[in-house]
Amino acid sequence: MKLAVAGKGGSGKTSVAGCLARLLARRGVSDLIAIDADSNPNLALTLGLPPERMSQLCPMPRSVLERRTDESGKTRLSLALTPAEIFEQYGIPAPGGITLLLMGSVDHAGAG
Amino acid sequence: MCGAHAAVRTLVSELVDQNDRPTVVDMEAGLEHFSRGTIRNVDTALLIVEPYFKSMETGARMSTLARELEIARVLTVANKVRGAADSRALADFCSQREMHLLAEIPFDEALLEAERAGRSPLDFSAASPALRALDDLARALTSPPEAASR
Repeated sequence: MKLAVAGKGGSGKTSVAGCLARLLARRGVSDLIAIDADSNPNLALTLGLPPERMSQLCPMPRSVLERRTDESGKTRLSLALTPAEIFEQYGIPAPGGITLLLMGSVDHAGAG
Repeated sequence: MCGAHAAVRTLVSELVDQNDRPTVVDMEAGLEHFSRGTIRNVDTALLIVEPYFKSMETGARMSTLARELEIARVLTVANKVRGAADSRALADFCSQREMHLLAEIPFDEALLEAERAGRSPLDFSAASPALRALDDLARALTSPPEAASR
């Protein structure tokens, strides 16, 4: 299952995504990955991480991506680590056996 | 486009594509991940709409874009529904625009209270009406695809 939750700001998208992840886990969907791709990260709280941990949560650094050049000489960004390595190094354990990944601040890590 | 946003989008789409675990992505607000294809690697898109025209109209545009990206299941979920008039408006709109309205989540103070308390709604008021509706949605999503898309 690869599920994207989309909507306008204020639609309750993050609440739906977070609650749904927990409820899916409770219904037996195991080893679930929750990705916070929003620039206003609130998924961690909705998943049930305590507020006092919010300031310690680390978003993924830019170094998980690298520029590769293909045969035609074009460069494109791709993952520098395997997904398993990324989950292990940057995954934040959340209730329900969920692993949270924060994308929100990759853009502050000197990209561009 | 700013390189920073490009990096986030690449990261999201590559991670979704390359990992083999079940994955839920809280997309950034708005439509850009559709036009840039960030979202294309998912098998299910849940479009969250509120029962007022501008929100439903945004949902309809997302629905069109998601289908252009050939996402297998494009489903609409109405949120903050406050009664029969809202339900009717949603049903009418979705049928006119050929959107599949899978679930209606009622407006629920408990979600706001949970947010104010800095808690997950599940750890705060697990029996609230919105959570019951969300659990029905979770059940529909974990049923066989035929059942969920009916």
